[in-house]
Order: sequence, then structure tokens, then C-alpha cells
Amino acid sequence: MALGSRFDRLREVFLRSPIAGPLVTLVVVFILLSFVPNFLTLRSLSGIINAATLTGFIAVGVTLLMIAGEFDLSVGSIMAMGGYVFGFHVVAGGSPWVGLLLALLVAGVMGLINGLILVRTGIPSFIITLGTQFMYTGVLWFYSRAQMLQITEDLPEFAILNGRIEWLSSWLPGANVRTAFIWLVLLVIVFQLVLVRTRFGNHVFAAGGNKAAAAAQGVLVNRVKLACFVISGMCAGLAGVMLFAQFKTVRIATGAGQELQAIAAAVVGGTLLSGGSGSIVGALIGVLLISMLRTGVVLTNIISADNFPAVVGVTIVGAAILNDFIRQRR
Amino acid sequence: MENISRRFGSIVAVEDVTLAIYAGEVTALLGDNGAGKSTLIKILTGVYPPTTGRIYFKGKPVQITSPRMARDLGIETVYQDLALVPLMSVARNFFLGREPVKSIGPFRFLDLKTMQERTAAALRDIGIEKFSGGRSVNEPVGKLSGGERQSVAIGRAVHFGASVLILDEPTSALSVAETEKVLHYTRQAKERGLAVIFISHNMSHVMRVADRYIVMRHGRQVADYRKGELTEQDLADLVTGERER
Repeated sequence: MALGSRFDRLREVFLRSPIAGPLVTLVVVFILLSFVPNFLTLRSLSGIINAATLTGFIAVGVTLLMIAGEFDLSVGSIMAMGGYVFGFHVVAGGSPWVGLLLALLVAGVMGLINGLILVRTGIPSFIITLGTQFMYTGVLWFYSRAQMLQITEDLPEFAILNGRIEWLSSWLPGANVRTAFIWLVLLVIVFQLVLVRTRFGNHVFAAGGNKAAAAAQGVLVNRVKLACFVISGMCAGLAGVMLFAQFKTVRIATGAGQELQAIAAAVVGGTLLSGGSGSIVGALIGVLLISMLRTGVVLTNIISADNFPAVVGVTIVGAAILNDFIRQRR
Repeated sequence: MENISRRFGSIVAVEDVTLAIYAGEVTALLGDNGAGKSTLIKILTGVYPPTTGRIYFKGKPVQITSPRMARDLGIETVYQDLALVPLMSVARNFFLGREPVKSIGPFRFLDLKTMQERTAAALRDIGIEKFSGGRSVNEPVGKLSGGERQSVAIGRAVHFGASVLILDEPTSALSVAETEKVLHYTRQAKERGLAVIFISHNMSHVMRVADRYIVMRHGRQVADYRKGELTEQDLADLVTGERER
């Protein structure tokens, strides 16, 4: 009896959680794909994780911002900027750690600009960041002198930021997980805690759920939104740094399309497009799910791998319907 | 509030209104759309500064410059439909803007247990039995009925020691049974010594709950009567302008 009620309670907590739908989808897709030859190999699985990692960093910030009721379409260009700031600093012989801080600073300022335009004008952030996306790319043309940046040198710091985890590869042959994934998981845990266990997180939900009610209770809605824009920018900048640490190259087109991938991951992960509800852990599930499907498409070869976006499209709509269904039944 | 006026450009929204609100009374504020009720309330709650005039709170002159400051003074507003965040739990809504925290090292985390317990206790205290189980406070507000939402918002204001409670159209869009509850909690707030301002279009709800009637028309205060001095028809005539004052 006691066990039964404890189970009921657990079930209730699970069903009420925004990640219930995404988690079920992830498991179902995983089980279905496990019948595909070569899917259940360490190589495929670590490939899925690696392909999801960089988008994952962006999705953390974008999801937080979406819960606060705003969008950031400029994250792709901020990611490229982060890569360039970090890269230029390293190429000039500077410390990669200082480069990391500089990249975060510049990316944070770019996020702040988005946020300031929002709170000063009240124009929808979707429109603002649609514009700043191109403006930031424009700035990047000058800053990068329209050149792709590439280095050949391998720095030990790169291995810490986003290198292969060698001991894992030697222990499990074929496994090729990178350190950036560990940083991503830590970042997800930190922001999930911030979201559900702090005052700031409570105010993020309130700002996205009902701005007027939040303001009437003394929540400084504009300040909350500004902070979310800065965090979103910094997460995108961090993604740029991680990209450079892995590939040792960055170009102006780096990050293009990432904004929609991140929004897709957020929605697949149970975050409402209209704000006020969502989960950072859900966003991680979202990027992993999309990446898993991409690998599935490549392995099954039923449709061309180039036609993968069609699969993402089906996933987004399907996940949105499923999440909505679960939300209704709560 | 003394000689309060508010202009928006050349439009006079509130003109030379002087009124006093007393503790332990329900004061009804009536008037047709555009009569200046909302503007007057927004001045009192710090949303707009008055163009001219002064506000005294407990006998002292105050300048209310923000909603937050109004709240710190103990002036709580329950806006129609805007009081709560539907997607958030009852407990999170209850403590929104004044969440209790506990420190773990340098970090401060929400004290969720305290939030749930105190919310359940406070709602039980004002007689909202639905939450006595201690379970439902985790339900999203969106699952509550309109009357329950208003009740939670009123309970919140009472619990956090408001001295002035402003209810903006609290019974519009509610069923009869729900309205009864809200009127009941309104009386209860009054009995606890709060000054309640009850804004409504519904004359019969006003007649049943208010001790005093203030009527506004075209930005001016045209009537200030006590319970028993007017019939429901008199009140309606004052609002429409059928009766001058």
C-alpha cells in the first residue's frame, strides 16, 4: 500500500514534469533505432553525442530565454563571433583562458544589446534578433576581415575545453566522447537548478507565463529578461569557443541555422513556444533526440541524409503534439 | 487621496478627486468604462504618478513611484485575470516576488518545502479547504477555476499583511457559486481589518458587499454614499448620469 502510493506520487511528479513527453520520445526512438544495424555501437552513440554538443550549449541559453517568453535568433552569429574572439586571441599568442573570458564578454554584450533593444522599444524579440542576427554578421565581416580563421597548433587547453576523452576511448574501443559534452552536462545541471530552485528561476517562469502578474508582484521583469538575453548570448559564445577548440577553425558562416536547431531542441524538449514553461534538461534531451534521428537516417538510408531536415520537421511537429497531449491530461 | 488629477496629453483622465479609504470597510468604486476608475487605481498603486495632488497613507504624505513600492507599503492589487501565472504552481504563485530561500554555501535556493507548507496553511486559514491536503498547492494555477484563482490572490494579499486590498472586477466572468465565494473572502478580508477597494460593474454584487459607494463619471467623483443610503437603482442611475449626484 505504502509502496503503491509512493509509486502514484512518483508517477504524478513525472507526469507533471515538462520532460515527461521528451523522455518517453527519446526512449521510444532509441528502442526503435536499436533494431537498425550499426546503431547500437559505441561509435554511433558517441557520434550522436558529439554532433549534439555544440547545439546543446546554444540550446541551454535559448531555452532559458524562451521560458522567459523571448526569442534569440542571433545566437548563430554570436557563436561565430565567440569563435573569432577566442581564435584571434589564441593566434596572437594569448592565453586560451583569457580568450575564453573575452569571448564570453563579447557574446554577453551582444546578448545585452538584444535585451536592451527589447526593454527600451517593446518590439517583439523575434523581430529584433532577426535584425541583429544580420547586423552581428555584418560586424563580423569587418572584424574577421572576411577571412576564415584557422590554426594548426594544438594547445593543451583545447584538450581540456573540447578534446577526446582518451582514457574512455582506450577503455571502451570505439567510444569517442569529448570533454565538451561533460561541460555541457554540467551547464545543463547548473541552469536546471537555477531555473527550478532559485528566485531568479521562479521569476523567469513568471516573466514568460504572465508578465503583468509578475510585475504586479514586484518581479523586475525587464531585468529578468535582460539577464536571460545575456545568458543566451554567453551560451552561444561558449559554443563558438568549443567549436574552435575542437576544429581549430571558424568562419563567418559558422553557426548559421543554429538558432532554429536550438529552438527545435527546446520545443522537442517540452518548452512552450509561448513561454512560461519548459526545462533545460528537456533541451538536452531535445538535441540528443534530433542528433539520434540524424544518425538513424544516415544508417537506414531510407531517405537521403541530405533530406534530414524533413525528419527534424516531423519530429518537431510530432513532439509538440505529444507534449501538448501530456500537458492536457495532467 | 487629495485633489488627485491625471492628464494624458490634453485628455483629463482623473480630475480633482479627493477621497479617503478606511480600514475595516469595503469601499466600492463604480463608474462606466472610461470614467477614470482604473487610472485612479493605477495612481494609487504606483503605475502612474499623479499630475497633481497628494496621497496620504496612514496619515503621512507618500509618493508612490512604483508597483513595488505600493506593495511594500501594504497596498495589494488583485487584477482581473492578471493576478496569477497560470502555468506556475499555486505555491510558486503565492510566494512570487518574496520567495523564501535557504542558503547552501554561497548559494541561495528556494525553500520549496516552506513555500508549500505555508501556502497550504494560509489558504486553509482563510477557509479555502481545497488546499488543506497539502497536495494541491503544487498544481498549476491554470487548473483552478476563476473563483479559486481570485480566492488564492485575495488569500495571498491577506497573508502577506496587506492593509489596502484593491479588487479589480473580481466577480466578472464568474459563476454564481464562484461569486459567492469571492464575496465571502472579500468580507473576510474586511473583518481582518483591511481597507478593501472593490471595483465592479455589477450593482448587485456591490450592494451585497460594500459599506460605501464612490461613483466616478468623466474623471470626476460624483457621489460618496454609505450603505443604506441608496438603492441598487439609485446606484445605477449615478453611474449612467441619469442622476447627477
